[in-house]
Amino acid sequence: MQRKKSPLFVAPALIIYTFLMIIPIIGAFALSFTNWNGISRDYQFSGIKNYTAMFSDERFLNAVFVTLRIMLTVCVSVNVIGLFTAVLLNKARRFTNALRSVFFLPYVISTVAISFIWLSILSYTGILNSVLTSVGLEAIVNDYIGNTKGALRSICLIEIWRIMGFHMVLYLASIQTVPEELYEACIVDGGSGWDSFRYVTLPMIVPGATVSVIMSVMTEMKQYDIVKVITNGGPGYSTETISYNIVTQAFGNNMLGYSSALAVFLFVFIAVISILQLKLSARWEV
Amino acid sequence: MKTKKNKGETILSVIVILLAVIFFIPLYLAVINIFKTTDVIRSKPVSLPIPPTLDNIISVLTDPNVQIWKMYFNSLCITIFGAGICILVSAMAAYYLARRTDRGAKAMYVYFLFGLMVPYVIVYVPLVTMFSRLHIPLSLPTLIFVFVSGSISFSVFMFYAFIHTLPRDLEEAAIIDGAGQWTLFLRIVMPLIKPCTTTVAIFIGLSMWNDFLTPLLIGQIKTITVGIYTAIGPYASDWGSVFAYVMFATLPIAVTYVFAQKQFISGLTAGALKG
Repeated sequence: MQRKKSPLFVAPALIIYTFLMIIPIIGAFALSFTNWNGISRDYQFSGIKNYTAMFSDERFLNAVFVTLRIMLTVCVSVNVIGLFTAVLLNKARRFTNALRSVFFLPYVISTVAISFIWLSILSYTGILNSVLTSVGLEAIVNDYIGNTKGALRSICLIEIWRIMGFHMVLYLASIQTVPEELYEACIVDGGSGWDSFRYVTLPMIVPGATVSVIMSVMTEMKQYDIVKVITNGGPGYSTETISYNIVTQAFGNNMLGYSSALAVFLFVFIAVISILQLKLSARWEV
Repeated sequence: MKTKKNKGETILSVIVILLAVIFFIPLYLAVINIFKTTDVIRSKPVSLPIPPTLDNIISVLTDPNVQIWKMYFNSLCITIFGAGICILVSAMAAYYLARRTDRGAKAMYVYFLFGLMVPYVIVYVPLVTMFSRLHIPLSLPTLIFVFVSGSISFSVFMFYAFIHTLPRDLEEAAIIDGAGQWTLFLRIVMPLIKPCTTTVAIFIGLSMWNDFLTPLLIGQIKTITVGIYTAIGPYASDWGSVFAYVMFATLPIAVTYVFAQKQFISGLTAGALKG
């Protein structure tokens, strides 16, 4: 009986993956120890200079700070709003499925298209200011994305709107696995609606919530598209995220060695979170 | 008791429907304003487009610098061939690895999973450098294989988990009937893993269609996302045509979504919940 499988089964995937994914990653590590500018043929080994330089690079530190700010705001918001909406949606039984699809819709549309929709609303010449003017609220007409604070808030708002539905669906799936008997037991014991949420729903959805939080952290660490469309990193470089900074240093300023070091930094950060995620989900066996 | 419960449910329903309506406003604006000129959008942005105008759509379609159909062609090629090739090679690899018990296979599986942890932004510089050294043009086929390589980790991961749950009886029966290993894979295994293939196809297909940074950096190939970005330009304020471009970028996905909401939602969350 022929049971052995030909190694040809695994070969195509292995070749494509090694050639276009693993070798480039190794290449990035190698480049991160050089001062290559992408044009000249020769470049020097510069040791860990790129890695020490990034910690005194104000522009990069600002990008880290901006990324963390966006991450914190978006993660807290989408998880709180997502859970809240999921609980409501779960109770409004007749509409659960239809409304689930409505809230999920932005998640399937390209981020570039979504950013342009919001740009048309939030720009100085955009829809929001037109509406405010026409109802006589000229006083609060503002160039929302023209200043750093407003631009960051706008980016967060757009991202929250885009991924909220996804996290709501994750929570909804979690909530729907909670056995009905637990709620009944809670009511029999004289628990209120809040009690059944606090002592039944919340503890039961911890695994799902962990996945949801980690997913949102990972997505926001890589934020690029919205910043590119809405502010292009500006004003100045005040709204640049880590990914945006890496791409600009590499493809705008030709600092390939340095940008590779920044990318390795991001990689290590994300790898730590991934390992944490694997450890946690193994413990809870979702 | 029962009526009280029903009343509570009605109030809740009203609240969520209201939330959904507020949530939907940006999309409502994006749809109605396609059919207004930019001047009308400035003066009456929230009213229905009466009378509607097709000027925005026509000007986008007839602009010689834009070529919407070319963008669609590029994006469709990437999505169909990229997802197709990725699914085929990943299913083959996952089948090979899942049906072996030796340590080499386990190690190779972990090797494939490594890509899941990598922020993709790390590979652009080495990739472009490598292509230019090897004189590989930054063309559509190159881009398709770059997309394939980026989705292999996820696909192998999904197929591996799924094939592990399949009983081997059918395969063994087919072997007794004298089926060769390739026939076995194509005629027995592929049909059995179809639910998983749907999930993977939606997940990676959508990510390829919507990707912006990869086609922008690998050869500036004008997919629909890069295409509308360059067409609109970073400082646009001609909102009428902006909305028309947004429509062209989203319509194919939105229509597919309407007909396959369940598959989209479960496909896009399955990866997260299994991860």
